[in-house]
Amino acid sequence: MIANADALLKPLTIKGLTIRNRVMSTSHAPGYGKDGKPQERYQLYHAEKAKGGIGLTMFGGSSSVAIDSPAAPWAQISVADDSVIPHFQRFAERVHAHGAKLMIQLTHMGRRTKWDTENWFPTISASPRREPASRTIPREMDRNDIRRVVKSFADAVRRCKEGGLDGCEVSAAHGHLIDQFWSPSVNQRGDEYGGSLENRMRFGREVLEAMREAAGPDYVIGMRMSGDEMIADGLSHEDCVAIAADYVKAGLVDFLNVLGGQARDHISHAISLPNMSFPVAPFLFLPSAIKREVDVPIFHAQRVTDLATGARAVAEGHVDMIAMTRAHIADPHLVNKLIEGRDDDIRQCVGAGYCIDRIYVGGDALCIQNGATGREAFMPHVIPPAPVKRKAVVVGAGPGGLEAARVLAERGHAVVLFEKADKVGGQINIAAKATWREALSGIPRWLHAQVLKKGVDLRLGTEATAESILAEAPDVVILATGGAPIKGYAKGAEHVVTTWDVLTGAVEPTGTVLLYDEIGGHNAASTAEVLAKRGCLVEMATHDRMIAEEVGTTNQPVHLRELYKLGVVMSPNMELIEVYPEGNRLIAALRNTMTEAEEERVVDRVVADYGVLPVDGLFRDLRARSANDGETDLDALVAGTPQPALGKGGFALFRIGDAWSGRNIHAAIYDALRLCKDI
Amino acid sequence: MTDTTLSLALVLYALAGFAGVAAFRRARAWRAGQPARVDWVAGLRALPRRYLVDVHHVVGRDPFTARMHALTAGGLLAGSLLVLLSPLPGLGGSRLFWGVVALLFAAMLAGGAMVRRRRVPVTPPRLSRGRFAFLPLLLIGYAAGALLVALDGASGGWLWPLGWLGLWLAAAAGLGLVNQIERGPMRHVVAGALHLAAHPRPGRFEGRRETALAPLDLDAPRLGTETPADFAWNRLLGFDACIQCGRCEVACPAFAAGQPLNPKKLIQDLVATLEPGGSNAAYAGSPYPHARPVAGRGGPDQPIIGREAMIHPDTLWSCTTCRACVEECPMMIEHVDAIVSLRRHQTLELGAVPEKAAPALAELRYADDAQGRPLAARTDFAAGTPLPLIAARGEAEILLWLGEGAYDMRHGRSLRALLKLLHLAKVDVAVLGPEERDCGDLARRLGDEATFQRLARENVATLARYRFARILTADPHALHVLRNEYPAFGGHYEVVHHTAFLDELVAAGRLAPGALALAGVTYHDPCYLGRYNGEVDAPRRLLDRLGLDRVEMARHGRRSMCCGGGGGAPLSDVEGETRIPDLRMEQAKATGAGIVAVACPQCTAMLEGVTGDRPEVRDIAELVLMAVEAAPARPTRQPEPVA
Repeated sequence: MIANADALLKPLTIKGLTIRNRVMSTSHAPGYGKDGKPQERYQLYHAEKAKGGIGLTMFGGSSSVAIDSPAAPWAQISVADDSVIPHFQRFAERVHAHGAKLMIQLTHMGRRTKWDTENWFPTISASPRREPASRTIPREMDRNDIRRVVKSFADAVRRCKEGGLDGCEVSAAHGHLIDQFWSPSVNQRGDEYGGSLENRMRFGREVLEAMREAAGPDYVIGMRMSGDEMIADGLSHEDCVAIAADYVKAGLVDFLNVLGGQARDHISHAISLPNMSFPVAPFLFLPSAIKREVDVPIFHAQRVTDLATGARAVAEGHVDMIAMTRAHIADPHLVNKLIEGRDDDIRQCVGAGYCIDRIYVGGDALCIQNGATGREAFMPHVIPPAPVKRKAVVVGAGPGGLEAARVLAERGHAVVLFEKADKVGGQINIAAKATWREALSGIPRWLHAQVLKKGVDLRLGTEATAESILAEAPDVVILATGGAPIKGYAKGAEHVVTTWDVLTGAVEPTGTVLLYDEIGGHNAASTAEVLAKRGCLVEMATHDRMIAEEVGTTNQPVHLRELYKLGVVMSPNMELIEVYPEGNRLIAALRNTMTEAEEERVVDRVVADYGVLPVDGLFRDLRARSANDGETDLDALVAGTPQPALGKGGFALFRIGDAWSGRNIHAAIYDALRLCKDI
Repeated sequence: MTDTTLSLALVLYALAGFAGVAAFRRARAWRAGQPARVDWVAGLRALPRRYLVDVHHVVGRDPFTARMHALTAGGLLAGSLLVLLSPLPGLGGSRLFWGVVALLFAAMLAGGAMVRRRRVPVTPPRLSRGRFAFLPLLLIGYAAGALLVALDGASGGWLWPLGWLGLWLAAAAGLGLVNQIERGPMRHVVAGALHLAAHPRPGRFEGRRETALAPLDLDAPRLGTETPADFAWNRLLGFDACIQCGRCEVACPAFAAGQPLNPKKLIQDLVATLEPGGSNAAYAGSPYPHARPVAGRGGPDQPIIGREAMIHPDTLWSCTTCRACVEECPMMIEHVDAIVSLRRHQTLELGAVPEKAAPALAELRYADDAQGRPLAARTDFAAGTPLPLIAARGEAEILLWLGEGAYDMRHGRSLRALLKLLHLAKVDVAVLGPEERDCGDLARRLGDEATFQRLARENVATLARYRFARILTADPHALHVLRNEYPAFGGHYEVVHHTAFLDELVAAGRLAPGALALAGVTYHDPCYLGRYNGEVDAPRRLLDRLGLDRVEMARHGRRSMCCGGGGGAPLSDVEGETRIPDLRMEQAKATGAGIVAVACPQCTAMLEGVTGDRPEVRDIAELVLMAVEAAPARPTRQPEPVA
């Protein structure tokens, strides 16, 4: 049991709305919106949290109130017309059925959106100052624009109320329209909406007054805002406290949802959505400071990954509600697990940022370690028992093998899990050795505890062979043997060492190192940091247009920041073509992918990352003896039906994760979950 | 009459006289106590029944001992009485009469042999040694001697040499037995009989549980018991009724956990204080485990509790008030009443409460909750579920008394399950919410009678403002207090435990549980439900309705073992060798059950605190909810016919 748990489990009443506990999820855009509406998938995703005991779940990050703030970019929600109301009603029903409250975020994105989508309207803002993140230069709003947008907010809140939502917040954070008016970094107007802070607050005040007018005195309306923009020409902490105090004093808001930073460019975006390189709750001091000045409940989210931290934040009076948004993506049932004394069973968010990073490349939010999140319609968060109990052997205790063993054990099968290393974790153990990537080790730590709890026969330090597997007389054999790194395709590749060699300590490079990356993932970038921190002079070359191109928006800026700080030379658009020794050093030949100009480097080491290829020795040994020739039935996998090879005599053989094909952690875990849930 | 039989009669008259003197001398010690209202007529009239039915109901739990006692006591009393009657004309001359007497003493001889047999080859630890080791020889000697005389009488004097031998034997052993009346085991014969007639809780013999503590007069010059003379005289008599059989010792959870409490020794310590300059040196039974050093001296006007007195405070505070000793005592001694009375003095007069109990009592005094939590927070556990306040409506069919457990996260789960079931069964239920104060159980068991009475009066006044048919609670401690102890303060309520209420709902078809396929379940009876209120059937019936594979622990029902959570024991926290809940959980584990079903927030907390591999702890409400949720959707069942 965590300390101060009782502080989290006290209800909070805002204007007659009683929220059953102090744990919430903030509005975000998981990319599940369909036609601008929160439909089945979106609703089930939040209903799962409600089922899991959350007090308040807020949805629809950046839901737009007006048609010149398009909902399309991140598959968001449009509250700009009444057609959304029936969806709200169904949504509220689903969440209320489990005792949780449901609210939405309303906003106009101003300049922070795209003009070249949906209705192709120009973006608008307080002043025509370009935002680096959205790459748009907005049109300066005139009186008509202001009047129209204010009315849009008022109409939108009416739709929320008619839709049965328990309340809403306006977004005045992350550089949306209201805080574009507030922030001197955007607002350079000379009229009554610009200049003094008093004037800059005017637009937001008009919005909130109009909303109150439309929604009546009892409807809960809050505001999300920054406690400090943390940029030189932006809002200072004192400005933010003044704004909060002013709006609260005027009775305009019923709660404040306070965060740190804003999001106008890559690094500020990464800071406002802190990844695992940050300590937990890095900006808790901001809501805490504002709470001292105002008398409305204060909400806060920002890397509160564990209930103990959340409980401390509430118990010590820094905040009234603690938002654990990504923590719920990792485990939507975390509150119930706390209440039921099963807090050890909580799958804790590691801060990989996989969920959010996918959204910014137009994908849907998925959890790096929980294959069921966002797939509630067909993937279970609680694994039901199997009708027929079988004997299963899983080989490899990396994330895929652990998840397979966990799910099979939850199904009630007898599971033997072989792992040739003396600890579980597989490739994550290697990745976690790289500086701030350490928190990845939380993924196998939870899985390890779960498989032990569920009675999996875990055999560490035991390399499986065809004979030892068959000796178990299994009905199912799942190979999660992972992948092995390759040295690549350059001439003289035998002189290359891999990122694995560096991270595992097999090779300890010194002097000058050329790190060549063909993947663009975390692997090479984090290895470059490790090398530079150890004192090597590092040049990082990549075939891509930039370093770590495949890494998402909340992680890549952190890699770049670290590489710059460490003096790593970054050379994009280069291909490694040859490596050969010269004396006791190596010559690496690079070719510019654009100009085809060739360059040479004299280095002490060439380290490369070309990804992994499957470790498939066991597969080749077992394939002919299996009932299904080692073939996974893809149609059954997608349909969510048992593999046809099961129960046909002999054993069915499957591969998952990198043993099937080298991909990522989520792929390995999802392979395991979707296969094993039907075994 | 033969010479021998006549002589025996004369000897017995003399012995009876000596016995009377000894009893009278001992009675002076009881007179030191306070006056008590005793209905002597009813008590004496009921005595045979109390002795033959109620006492033997307890004794009969051990059939060997029951036979032993029936033979020994029956033979002794009936045989001796007949001998005393033998001078009456027409009796002593009858050979048949002496044949009957011989049979009775033969029976006593067999009984005496059984008394001896219990100690061969090894005296069980629960039995006392010392004077008790000598007792079987006296019984056998007296029985054998009287038997020989009676045989002589039955033979018409033919066996006169054996008759004379027997006479001397009976006289000598009889004198030995009489000598045991003032200080030895035979005291129990006299004190026991009188105690049964003058018992302070006569309702116990009339089928009532009668477990409520009596209110203390807070205006009395001295509060609670400091010296033996502060006890009512019939309480002192009750202590003397003890025969040191050690059944209480075997049943006591604190004793089992190695805490410094042994109810038998406690009673004997109290007995030892009845004489001026009394000492516990003669006691020859099991000591208090890890006994704290005390002077071991006392007297009728000397303090009982203290390092310089007879009983160490740790002994007093080790008790969980579970009443297992009372339940096991064949002489119906009221150990818990004595302990609470002693605690009252410690708490109210001396402020000498255990370290961790002091802040809890202070919070109860000032904030009406033992942890000083806001009363309105009692309903926090139910946030998000409908829970009407009775203040808003004035009336409800069922008033749900939430109790202290509502503040606890774990018990909150049980209460949420209960609320959900009540909701499903469409029960018209409401709570007092911020108007519910602590029921006062903790304060009362810790001896803070003043706080208890204040809480009781305030709760009674609150309840008087509302209309409801019954009070429902999931807390047996609250149930006991509300049902049995509030009447003394003018609060008369029908109080139902949630297990009984859920059982009603299922029987009436208002809840339709499906069958639960769970690893076996064993039910742990809460002391305040099972022993204090005799409710042992409804929880079991309810579990059986869920289709559970139910197994019993060796100790169950009214003879169940405490979880260690009652009487403020978790606050007193007297160090022992192990913890009571660990012992109880071991017993649950030994049944092979995967689940321990509980029905009390204290039991839940204590058993959930047991670490390591163990069965899971589930309140019965949680199991019922699981079963209801597992049930396939179908119309509710037809109500069962009323039996």
